[in-house]
Amino acid sequence: MKKKVLIGLLGPNLDMGTKNTRWEKWRPSVALCMHEDLAFDRYELLYQKRFHLLAETISSDILSVSPETTLRQHHIDWRDPWDFVEVYSALYDFACHYSFKEDEEYFINITTGTHVAQICLFLLTESYHFPAQLIQSSPSQKKHKNVAGTYSIIDLDLSKYDSLANRFQAETFESYDLLKSGIKTRDDKFNRLIEQIEKVCLRSDAPLLLRGPTGAGKSQLASRIYELRKQKHQLKGNFVEVNCATLRGDAAMSTLFGHKKGSYTGATSDRPGLLKEADGGLLFLDEIGELGLDEQAMLLRALEDKSFLPLGSDSSTTSDFQLICGTNRELYKASEEGLFREDLLARINIWDFELPGLKNRTADIAPNIDHELQKFAESSGKLMRFTKEARKSYLDFATSAEATWKSNFRDLNASIHRMTTLADSSRIGNDICDKEVQRLQRQWQSLEHPRDEVILNELFSPNFIESIDPFDRPQLAKVIQTCRESKNLSEAGRKLFCVSRKNKKVPNDADRLRKYLARFELSWKDIKA
Amino acid sequence: MMETIHIDGSLGEGGGQVLRSSLALSMITGKRVEFKNIRAGRAKPGLMRQHLACVRAAQKFCGARVQGDELKSMEVSFIPGEIQAGDYHFNVGSAGSVGLVLQTVMPALILADGPSTLILEGGTHNPMAPPFDFLKQVFVPQLAKMGVKMDMNLEDWGFFPAGGGRMNVSIEPVNELKSLSLMTRGALKNRRGRAVVSSIPISIAESEVKVLQSKLEWKDISAEEVLQPNGPGNIVMTELEFEHVSELCSSFGEKGIRAARVADKAVCAIRKYLLSEAPVGEHLADQLLLPMALAGEGEFLCTEISSHTRTNMEVIQKFLKVKFSVREQNQAFHISIT
Repeated sequence: MKKKVLIGLLGPNLDMGTKNTRWEKWRPSVALCMHEDLAFDRYELLYQKRFHLLAETISSDILSVSPETTLRQHHIDWRDPWDFVEVYSALYDFACHYSFKEDEEYFINITTGTHVAQICLFLLTESYHFPAQLIQSSPSQKKHKNVAGTYSIIDLDLSKYDSLANRFQAETFESYDLLKSGIKTRDDKFNRLIEQIEKVCLRSDAPLLLRGPTGAGKSQLASRIYELRKQKHQLKGNFVEVNCATLRGDAAMSTLFGHKKGSYTGATSDRPGLLKEADGGLLFLDEIGELGLDEQAMLLRALEDKSFLPLGSDSSTTSDFQLICGTNRELYKASEEGLFREDLLARINIWDFELPGLKNRTADIAPNIDHELQKFAESSGKLMRFTKEARKSYLDFATSAEATWKSNFRDLNASIHRMTTLADSSRIGNDICDKEVQRLQRQWQSLEHPRDEVILNELFSPNFIESIDPFDRPQLAKVIQTCRESKNLSEAGRKLFCVSRKNKKVPNDADRLRKYLARFELSWKDIKA
Repeated sequence: MMETIHIDGSLGEGGGQVLRSSLALSMITGKRVEFKNIRAGRAKPGLMRQHLACVRAAQKFCGARVQGDELKSMEVSFIPGEIQAGDYHFNVGSAGSVGLVLQTVMPALILADGPSTLILEGGTHNPMAPPFDFLKQVFVPQLAKMGVKMDMNLEDWGFFPAGGGRMNVSIEPVNELKSLSLMTRGALKNRRGRAVVSSIPISIAESEVKVLQSKLEWKDISAEEVLQPNGPGNIVMTELEFEHVSELCSSFGEKGIRAARVADKAVCAIRKYLLSEAPVGEHLADQLLLPMALAGEGEFLCTEISSHTRTNMEVIQKFLKVKFSVREQNQAFHISIT
């Protein structure tokens, strides 16, 4: 059995008493030696020289109640017992010079001494300078007071205290997890990136620029950053998200900065605008490179002054928000070409993070598959799993060079969605998996030799295409194709509405076509250009 | 092979008394003893310091091999060796009363192969154990009748919690204990009341004396002060000396309890003894069982039987080939060994 050694400071107040009446009161240094179920083999009593008389009394009293205890006295001196530095260094020196042995069990009495001394003892114990447990004596609460009182032992190594100590760490871990949507990503580079983003967004509210290919999760991440900062009470306002590629013309200005009623045709009421909506919150401007030059200028002013002028308004409005911008374009190149304001770029580019595409994070594909399955389970209540073989073959393909993951997480999300929908049982088997792999192969191959996509790409920015439903894309491509093969709008209209026009008294093919094209902000000129 | 006695602390009154009797009997009979469930069901189960002190003392007297002799241990294995008569010195601190240690080792020293002296330091007057004065004035005279020459002196008073008391004991062993028959008190020889204070005002003892005087109307009632006190303490003792037996009742003063109440308790206890005609009080009965069993025969009449006493008889019967019989007789209990 290990020897028990108690290390404690003489308490000039609590241990006080040299007359015989001292036995009637609780004196922690003596009380700890009076318990029936606790005995110390040795007592290291630390005291200041000026209390040597008290130390003598306490020592002989300890020996009287606990003859099995060997008592050793140590001088320990500080001028001011409330001086942190002095007390800490004295106790630190004692701890460093004391020879702790393997076959002894140590207890630090934190009942006596000034609060400063108690804190120092705690810190030195927590840091293992004292390889000890803490012990505390308390006076008896009973009516007929037992002078021994009660005691409690606090072992900081116990898991319950451990969890206390790990609280901070756990908290950062949580936020780190939050940024990753709880996905246990394994890609080191990505994890480091998230760590850094977490640090930055908890410490600074400067604008962030997230770069990365489409579908890399920029908008997802922005909303997670918002959640995190809101959780930490760093943000109060809303999360406002807009894709700049969808902002065109007058509407763009008004959408962002708001307008006064009657400021332009169709402005039938006041509109606060997204910047105002984001006041106190976070504004995520995706595809910032698509923002028009006028809007860029307004945005810059809004960032610098935290105020801007809504359309048709005489007075400026204020809004204070954190800005996160997303882009898949090379903004420096755009600014050299004069398409993006250099001063705005400098302003939004304080923190710049590049999100890798899924292809460059093959280690994270598996955890993301699990995450997608989990999401499916949450929304459908059906827990889906791959059979072992199916999972292996899907993963093999997913992490191979052949899998280009053109649209990154969008592709993965769609792929899992298809498989979970097609699976009859709760297992995704080889048959479904093989078909899905073939489908993805076809999809990505056709992207390499795109017909529809090529046509659309010639006329639209990738982001604009993104904003068109896949349902509409082949139709639009077919329409454009037909227009190009026709001499004029009427001829194209005749070809395209050849069936329905027969039932009409006045065939208005050209008009119908013009209206269709306008939906995509296209004119005949654009197509023929 | 050595015979092993198993003692289950969860049965009967499995407290410290069982432990002490078992240790004493193990040393005398040479039988190994295995304790389990020591003080099971108590708020603080297992060996406490005062019990451990007894185990350690027993170990020292006979060079026993002991396992499980740790605080809070609920299992102890005790393999006794040869009893060594000699001069011993024990310091048991305030919590463990010296009387309890003496109880553990004395039976073995009575039957040892030579005389022994003991110096015992710690608590001599502790509410949880028979005080020194009881052992000297009530118990030792009965042992003398059984042939044991034993002398004990109080050098220093040791009250709880400060302790610091000291007593010396000398024991001349006997080959065989004589049987004891204690059936009547005999003529009353002496009555005495004492109120003793240590390190607290003598006025407390004086007011206790007043209560004793008004309630007992004895002549010899005195207030005393411990001359070289080690700590605060107060005891009131009421003693009766008869031709064949003595009785001593005690009550301890505590902070917060009025002196009159302390004195009252000692008065009530001795009055209760006087209500009966049986010579042996509850506490003496407990002490006599073991020596009587060692003698092999004997009988006494006692005022009452506590569950302690019954458990003690069971323990003794496990070690020795004796049979206690208990018979109620005129509102008293006749205990004999057959």
